Amino acid sequence: MHISEGILSGPVLLSGAALAAAGTAIGLKKLDYDRIARTGILSAAFFVASLIHVPVGPTSVHLILNGIVGILLGWCAFPAILIALLLQGLFFQFGGITTLGVNTLIMALPAVICYYLFAPFISGKKTVAVAAAFACGFLCVLFSALIMAAALIFSEENFLEISAIVIVSHLPIMMIEGVITAFCILFLKKVQPALLSQSGQYKNGY
Amino acid sequence: MIEEPFATGNSAVHNIDPRFRVIAAVVYSFAVALCYGFVPLITAFAVSAVSLLMCRVSLKKVLKQLALVNGFILLFWIVLPLTYPGGATYPLGPVTIHQAGIAFAAKITLKSNAILMALIAFIATMTLATLGHTLGRLKVPEKLVFLLMITYRYVFVIAQEYQKIIKSIKIRGFRPKTTLHTYKTFAYVVGMLLIRASERADRVYNAMRCRGFKGTYYSLTDFQADAGSWIFLIIVFGATTAVVALEIFLRF
Amino acid sequence: MNQKEPIIKMRGVCFGYSDTAPILKDLDFDFYKGDKIGIIAPNGSGKTTLFHLIMGLIKPSCGDIEIFQAPMKTEADFADIRHRIGLLFQDADDQLFCPTVLEDVAFGPLNMGKSRKDAIDISRRTLAFLGLTDFENRITFKLSGGEKKLVSLATILSMEPEVLLLDEPLMGLDIKTRSVITRALMEMNSSYIIISHNINFLESTTHSTLTMREGSLIADDQVHVHVHDHAHVHGDVPHHH
Repeated sequence: MHISEGILSGPVLLSGAALAAAGTAIGLKKLDYDRIARTGILSAAFFVASLIHVPVGPTSVHLILNGIVGILLGWCAFPAILIALLLQGLFFQFGGITTLGVNTLIMALPAVICYYLFAPFISGKKTVAVAAAFACGFLCVLFSALIMAAALIFSEENFLEISAIVIVSHLPIMMIEGVITAFCILFLKKVQPALLSQSGQYKNGY
Repeated sequence: MIEEPFATGNSAVHNIDPRFRVIAAVVYSFAVALCYGFVPLITAFAVSAVSLLMCRVSLKKVLKQLALVNGFILLFWIVLPLTYPGGATYPLGPVTIHQAGIAFAAKITLKSNAILMALIAFIATMTLATLGHTLGRLKVPEKLVFLLMITYRYVFVIAQEYQKIIKSIKIRGFRPKTTLHTYKTFAYVVGMLLIRASERADRVYNAMRCRGFKGTYYSLTDFQADAGSWIFLIIVFGATTAVVALEIFLRF
Repeated sequence: MNQKEPIIKMRGVCFGYSDTAPILKDLDFDFYKGDKIGIIAPNGSGKTTLFHLIMGLIKPSCGDIEIFQAPMKTEADFADIRHRIGLLFQDADDQLFCPTVLEDVAFGPLNMGKSRKDAIDISRRTLAFLGLTDFENRITFKLSGGEKKLVSLATILSMEPEVLLLDEPLMGLDIKTRSVITRALMEMNSSYIIISHNINFLESTTHSTLTMREGSLIADDQVHVHVHDHAHVHGDVPHHH
C-alpha cells in the first residue's frame, strides 16, 4: 500500500521523509552487524511474500504483512521496509523517489507500534497469541490506512472523500491480514518458535 | 517473477555515471513534485518523455508499467471532478462536475507520470547492485547499503523457493478461492518462506564468519565521471531550473 | 611448523542437538599438514557437523579441539584461525552473498586486511585459475549452478587457506564443472578434507578415506570401498559384502 508520485504536497513529502529517516536511523542503530544478513534475508522473504495475491470474491489483493514484519523485526522494520519499497519501486517501476519517505512511514510506523502492542502476547498461550496476532495484522493495516489518509488530507483538504475511500477500501484487507497473520504466527509457534523470540538464533554456537 | 527489464542497455543514458543519474533523478523529481502550474508540468512531462526515449528501452514495457501505476490516479479522476469546488460547473444527472477538479486530476496525472518516467529513465536503467554501490559512494549509511545488497541478492533465491512451494501445493490440487482454507494455506506458505529464510540467514551468516567477517561490507566499485556525465547533469539541472522558473513566474 | 604435530586435533568430542541422540560421540581426529582425506558416510552421520565444529560455528558439548597447536575455547580463538581454513558450503547460495562475483571473491582477502588492490589482484588470479576470467562483474544470482559452485570455491581459495574443508563439492554439478574442481584440487599442493559420495572423485583426489560410525571417524580399511556398477541399496554407503 503506497501513494503514487505527484499527489502529495511538498510539506507532506518532506515531513514524511524526515520521520522515515528518523525511524530508519533508530532501526539501523538497533541493527547489529551480526544481524544484517538475517534482517536482509527476512526482508527479502517479506518482499516475495508481499507479491502473493489472495482472492477476495471476484478480485484479488496482494499481501502487506507489515504486522508480521513488526513482530519479527521491531524497529528494524523501518530500514527493512525502506529497502523493500526501493526494490518494489525499481522492479515494478512503481516509482517512489519523492514518496519513499511517506510510504516507508505508512508501512513501518504501524509495524513498530504493533510490535510494542502485541509482541509480548505472541509468545504466550495459544489462544492469546492467536487473538494478538489477528489484532496485530488487522490494526497494522488500519493504522497504515489512517496515516495514508492523513498524508492525503494534509496535502489537500479536498482529498477528504478520497481518504475516506482509501480507508473503507482497506477494510476487507484488514480482515484478510488479520486472518493470515493469525494463521502464520500459529504456524511459526508450532514449527519454529525460535523465530519469534529475538534471541533464538545461532543456538549451539559460541 | 522478478526482473529488471530496463537495467541493461547501451544507450547514452545507460553509460552515464550512476552517481550523477541518482542525484539528477532526486533533484529533478522533487522539483517537479512541488510544481502546480500546467505550463511547468507539461514542460516536465516533455523533458521526462524525451529522457525516456533516449534510453532506448522497450516502449511497450514502459507503457504497460505506466498504465498499471495510473490505476491509483484513476481514483482521482473519478472523485475529484465531483468534489473539488471551483471554476465552471456542469450538471450531470444528480451530480455536478467541477472544472477545477478536472484540472487538478489532470495536473496530478502529468506530475505523477513525469516523475515516473524520470525514474525509469535515470534509475531503472541500472541494476540494484549498481544502485547500492552508488548510494554507498553518495554517503548513504553503510549498514543500509549492506542491507540493500543482501536483500537484493536473496530476493531471487527466495522467489525460487516460493515457486517451488506453490508448485508443490498446486500438484496437490490447491486452487485459491475466497475461503478460510485458502487464507490458511497462504499463511502457511508465508510461514514456510520465513522459516526457510531464517535458516538460510543462519547459514549465510556462518559462511560470512568463515571468511573473516568483522562487520564491514566492502564495495569495490568505483565510478568515473566522464564529460558525458557532466553534460548530462548540466542538462538535467538546466531543465529543472527551467521548470521551477516557469512555476514561479507564472504563479505570480 | 612441526610436521609431527597435527594441525587439527580433536579429542573426545561430542555434539548433539539433544542428549538422547548425539550426532558425534567421543570423536578423536588428527589432521596433519599435507593430508588429503576423503570422508564417505551415510547422510545424517555427522560429517557436516564435524566441519562446523572445526570452524567453530557450533560448540561441542564435550571434548577438546586444537587447531594450529592452539586450544580452541572461545569465539575469539576461532575467529583468529578461520581465515587459515577454507570451508566450502554445500549450497553455493549460502556462500555467495554479494550481488557481484568480484566483490564476493574479494570479501575474504579484504577481511584479512589486504589492500583493495591486493584483494582485487588475488581475486582475479583465483578466478583465472578456475577458468572464470570474465566473471568478475557477473551478477551472482544469474550464474548457473556449476558456475556458482566454482565462484564459491574461488571465494575460499582467494583467502589462500592452509586447509580446505569441502562439503559435497560435486553435488548436483555437470561433468565439465566436476572436472574443473578435480583438476584444481590435483594441481594445488594443499591439505584438505572432502566429504563426498563420489568414490571415483575421492580416489583421484585423496590419499585415504575415512567413514563415520556411531558418531566417530574410523579408517576406511575396515570398510572396503569400491565402485559398484550394479544397482545397490547401499550405493552411497561404505559397506561389507
